[in-house]
Amino acid sequence: MDMNEESSEARKLKCGDTSKCFELLESILDGEMDNSKKVLTEKLAKCQPCFEHFHLEQAIRDLLKNKCTKHALPAELADSIRKQIQEIK
Amino acid sequence: MSEVQRRKYSQEEKNSIFDGEFMPHIDSMYNFAYRLTFDEDDAKDLVQDTYLKAYRFINSFEQGTNAKAWLFRILKNSFINEYRRKSKQPAKVDYQEVETYYNSDDVDYQSTSDMRAESLKDMLGDEISNALNSLVVDFRTVIILCDLEGFTYEEMSKILDIPIGTVRSRLHRARNLLKEKLQGYAKHMGYKTDEEEE
Repeated sequence: MDMNEESSEARKLKCGDTSKCFELLESILDGEMDNSKKVLTEKLAKCQPCFEHFHLEQAIRDLLKNKCTKHALPAELADSIRKQIQEIK
Repeated sequence: MSEVQRRKYSQEEKNSIFDGEFMPHIDSMYNFAYRLTFDEDDAKDLVQDTYLKAYRFINSFEQGTNAKAWLFRILKNSFINEYRRKSKQPAKVDYQEVETYYNSDDVDYQSTSDMRAESLKDMLGDEISNALNSLVVDFRTVIILCDLEGFTYEEMSKILDIPIGTVRSRLHRARNLLKEKLQGYAKHMGYKTDEEEE
């Protein structure tokens, strides 16, 4: 889905209800909306704050996913758990 | 996650569930535990306790259902009941108070209006990590579950014992707070924000 089209001329610069719209955009990004493609394309084409919010949210998610999931598991932890399970069997 | 009494698994079945469905999630579990406790030893203990509990209560796990969500729920409950008290975190913030405070459209818009996606591009891992860690635990948790671990709202609702609507609004507020922190870092690093352009 390419949401990067720069057709911002038609976009309104103020969003009528940022709270509601942003929450909706976040639900779409979270994969919690069915048939979201049409709603999204329409929203992003028409509203500059929604367009910016969507891309900001997407960038933050990418950053979180890439930078915050790599805390190395201590080498002995899995073995230590297995050993303790053996003892209570 | 229902409390219905199931048939008892044989020793062989228990081993197969434990190795095949529980252990593959150990990396995610440790990452979650570390982000809750901020301490490697506490995180190790928390993960270990969670796995021991999971084994002890394995008969209440229905094979083929979502093992990761089941394990995360046990870990979260263990953290609240046993670790929160002794962890190095600041005293528990009254959650209701936090949620009410941020339940305002003004905060929603103010906090996000002058930050752009481009300003995040060059951020280092430490900055996003510190921003996430600085959130109070209930806000931090929803972001970890959703954005790092990819749980659905429904799964999160079961893990956290809160309605789906609360998951949605708590996430929204948590993200606004995270953006506020990131914006602070972005300004500090001299990245471009709308505010500076004016």
